[in-house]
Amino acid sequence: MSYAYLFKYIIIGDTGVGKSCLLLQFTDKRFQPVHDLTIGVEFGARMITIDGKQIKLQIWDTAGQEAFRSITRSYYRGAAGALLVYDITRRETFNHLTTWLEDARQHSNSNMVIMLIGNKSDLDSRREVKKEEGEAFAREHGLVFMETSARTAANVEEAFINTAKEIYEKIQEGVFDINNEANGIKIGQQATPTNPALPGAGGAGGAVNSGCC
Amino acid sequence: MEFLKSGIKTVLGGTEPGQQPSAAETVEKLVDRVYSSTLLEDRRDACRALKALSRKYRIEVGAQGMPPLVQVLQNDGQDAEIISYALDTLCNIVTSEEFDEEADNPAVSVNVGEQFTEMFIKNPDHVTLVMGYLDEYDFRVRRGAIQLITSLIANKTRELQELVLVSPMGVSKLMDLLTDSREVIRNDVLLLLIELTKGNSNIQKIVAFENAFDRLFDIVREEGCSDGGIVVEDCLILLLNLLKNNSSNQQFFKEGSYIQRLAPMFLLNSSNGSSDADESAWTPQKVSNFHCMLQVVRALVTPSNQQQVVSACQRVMQKSQLLQALCDILMSSGVPADILTETINTVAEVVRGDRDNQDELSRVQAPSQPPRPAIVVLLMSMINEKQLLALRCAVLYCFECYLYRNSDGQRAVVQTLLPSSATDVSSLSTGQLLCTGLFSTDTLANWFAAVALMHTLVENVAQKEELLRVLLATPGGQRPITLLEQCTSLMQQERYRLQSKVGLLMLLSVWLAHCPGAVKALLETQGTMAYLTAQLCANEHDEREYLVQGMCAFLMGLCIQFNDNSLANQRREDISQLIIKRIGQETFCNKLSEVSRHEAYSRACKQAQIRAKGASELLLDYEYCKLYKGLEALIAKLVSGFDVDGIELTELTLSSEASALVAQYKGIIRGMDAQIQTLEQSTKQLEQENIELKDQLSHEQSLRAQLADQNTLLKAQLAAQPTAAAAPAPAATPTTTPITTATAEQQTTETVNDEQLNAARYQANMYFAENIRLTKELETLRQQLTAEKQRADAAQESLLATQKDQEDLLELLADQEAKLARYESPTNAVNDTNGR
Repeated sequence: MSYAYLFKYIIIGDTGVGKSCLLLQFTDKRFQPVHDLTIGVEFGARMITIDGKQIKLQIWDTAGQEAFRSITRSYYRGAAGALLVYDITRRETFNHLTTWLEDARQHSNSNMVIMLIGNKSDLDSRREVKKEEGEAFAREHGLVFMETSARTAANVEEAFINTAKEIYEKIQEGVFDINNEANGIKIGQQATPTNPALPGAGGAGGAVNSGCC
Repeated sequence: MEFLKSGIKTVLGGTEPGQQPSAAETVEKLVDRVYSSTLLEDRRDACRALKALSRKYRIEVGAQGMPPLVQVLQNDGQDAEIISYALDTLCNIVTSEEFDEEADNPAVSVNVGEQFTEMFIKNPDHVTLVMGYLDEYDFRVRRGAIQLITSLIANKTRELQELVLVSPMGVSKLMDLLTDSREVIRNDVLLLLIELTKGNSNIQKIVAFENAFDRLFDIVREEGCSDGGIVVEDCLILLLNLLKNNSSNQQFFKEGSYIQRLAPMFLLNSSNGSSDADESAWTPQKVSNFHCMLQVVRALVTPSNQQQVVSACQRVMQKSQLLQALCDILMSSGVPADILTETINTVAEVVRGDRDNQDELSRVQAPSQPPRPAIVVLLMSMINEKQLLALRCAVLYCFECYLYRNSDGQRAVVQTLLPSSATDVSSLSTGQLLCTGLFSTDTLANWFAAVALMHTLVENVAQKEELLRVLLATPGGQRPITLLEQCTSLMQQERYRLQSKVGLLMLLSVWLAHCPGAVKALLETQGTMAYLTAQLCANEHDEREYLVQGMCAFLMGLCIQFNDNSLANQRREDISQLIIKRIGQETFCNKLSEVSRHEAYSRACKQAQIRAKGASELLLDYEYCKLYKGLEALIAKLVSGFDVDGIELTELTLSSEASALVAQYKGIIRGMDAQIQTLEQSTKQLEQENIELKDQLSHEQSLRAQLADQNTLLKAQLAAQPTAAAAPAPAATPTTTPITTATAEQQTTETVNDEQLNAARYQANMYFAENIRLTKELETLRQQLTAEKQRADAAQESLLATQKDQEDLLELLADQEAKLARYESPTNAVNDTNGR
């Protein structure tokens, strides 16, 4: 399971917009219509490929409720990417975006890539927020925008992968300081010329072994 | 200290010597100076003096000094020295540690530090203020702040955790301090984080998110892994805090490939060192470090974790050769006993329920002469009374985990006991060892062996039946007796002690549950039912005897519940009658509930691991308790449902009775199923035969047709020949001259013709006979065919009949189930009958 890069993501947004479902769809490729409220934060991970490179995504799915806000804030600083999610069938979740964005900008590092996501696009009949509004908000605040459906999996892959692409490009441009792990980016063994075909213990374990024993 | 105090006295003007209130007065004066002095130097001196006094006169300084010290923290932030005095003084006041100086002061109660902590954090701003000084780079200030916060957390964990969580970037800031280049700071932060992460999953997750795993593994490596000092232990304790009962972090740990970083730490470099060098290498610190490392592994795979996390981690542990390394430790020499014990416990949980890992464990060979499987060597220590109790418990746990959801493993153990198995007699087998333990004079060995053997039967009816076949040779050369007989007779022996009996009762209970064959075998043994009845009738005994009585009641209940009524005098009703007439239903149910009332029950229910401080605590096993929990209510209902005449009393009890009935039907249906299968097979066979016969028939028919053709041909030839023979005659008449020759010729031709005719006739006859024979054969074959057809039809018919039977039975079953459901719903009618 070696990788070239490791990116840390967080998923933020109001409660009930489908953050956990997006994560579940992305990591497990399944949808769970009945979901308990996220308490604090949950973790998920998946490997993707960009530009022929293996990239590991570690994703922290946060609780949307106000009570957990101070906990959520602790995760901004160490993340390289954030998915800011609202529910297209509930106008107020869209209205709260400004607060979320301010919070994120205040506590995160300035290079954090934020992707704006309008979720539940399968419920078009109950739509309260037009796609154009989402696009306009994203343009105004310099975000990438996408409408997704965790139920039908539409655009879910794309949302996570496009965010990763954006981060990857920033690395290529030299915007990110990749040696500072506090930015939520880690270089794996694959980026340096080692043999990726080695089994798990051979790759990571070998190096540790020579150092400690 | 004395010098300092005298210095203070001269500064503040002397007080009457030997008077106790002087401390309070001194503090008061110092506090005054902290408040009112305009000069920083004076305030600093006063703070220094307060710090010096705070160890001996903690109460006085704490009672009066807190507000001025907070004021210093608020106003004098630019002077590192005074801040460090203030922080240190506060730290002395709130610490839970007792100073040597105050040891003889009766006024200092145990929790004085906790009370001062409470006072200090009453205002959350105080904590924020101290947290702010973490940003200060000055060594004394930063360290003072860290130590103060550590003490505060240690005293009031929950409150401080909440305060740190709401303080902006509080946890992140603390995590940053881990990268401080000054080791003292880094080590103090480790202690702080250990306190902070105790039992708060949100903080644990943030700490993990802030790259704690990487940081900690880096520090551990820098400090020399398991050979390192106490800092390594601190890192591992923090790691343990982050992982224990936190599935999100466990998943992150696994996904972040940290198990792969953990695995090489378990490699003992014994290959290059001699064995005595190894022993000296196990310093007390290394033992502690190793212990923590094992705890970290167990935190990931402990049975109470999420199943999916556990199995994912188990797979990685196998691939990263962590399991291999653990097994190597098991089999290497010179490992301290407590590490060995914990390693066995860890191996147990790494293999539990994972077939690949269980197989790997079963393949491990001990480096003994001759080489033996590791499991055999482990079991040898389990039944060895000279071994430490903790080690023996660990081996049993390991064995249980090895057999958990491992039907092949269970079978392999039972197989070694069966006579048919061609195992090498000279080599010790697992089964032999367990029997040795079971019949040993060491009570604990009896208990361990009984529980171990019990685990070969858990949820495995096939092995329960196999174990019934086990025969034991008797010393007198009499007929061999079965293992079950031996168990029941051991149970009845006076010299077999209570703990051993508990072990046997557990073994027998698990054996009998869901296995009518075993119930029958037990009922056929001599005196067992009488013994159980006697146990239940006995009254005056101590608490431990009550447990045995309860277990006997449970065993008796199983004899009813899983009885297939195949023994004439020991049917379900008969045993129920026995209980009613000899024991009484009430008494029986009372005794039955003794098991769950015993403290050993709640202890065993808690976790799969066997934990015991003393040998006498080893009574009940986790799996037995699970079985008991599932069946206790059923048995109680079943027994109280029979009335004196053996008729089931109320409809309410039908539910328990019906469940047995359902089990019975299930058995019948299973039998029918087998029957249908054999019938289907025979039909198939008959069809096959039918086809073959048809083939043969058509073959014969074609042969016959051929023969008939030949026959007609021959007949035709035969008809043609006389005319051919007659034809030359008229031709010969006109030529009379060569008459003699002609007649001679004719004669010769006639004789030739005759011969030919004869031959043809003979042939025809032969063909005819052949034809008749074949027709006959055909006839018999036809008869055979019809007979086979009839048989096939009959088979088909009986198949249909059985299928119909089965349908009927299923219907009956559904009916019963419906009834069951109906009866379970509490209705007035039922209550009435119940009341009656």
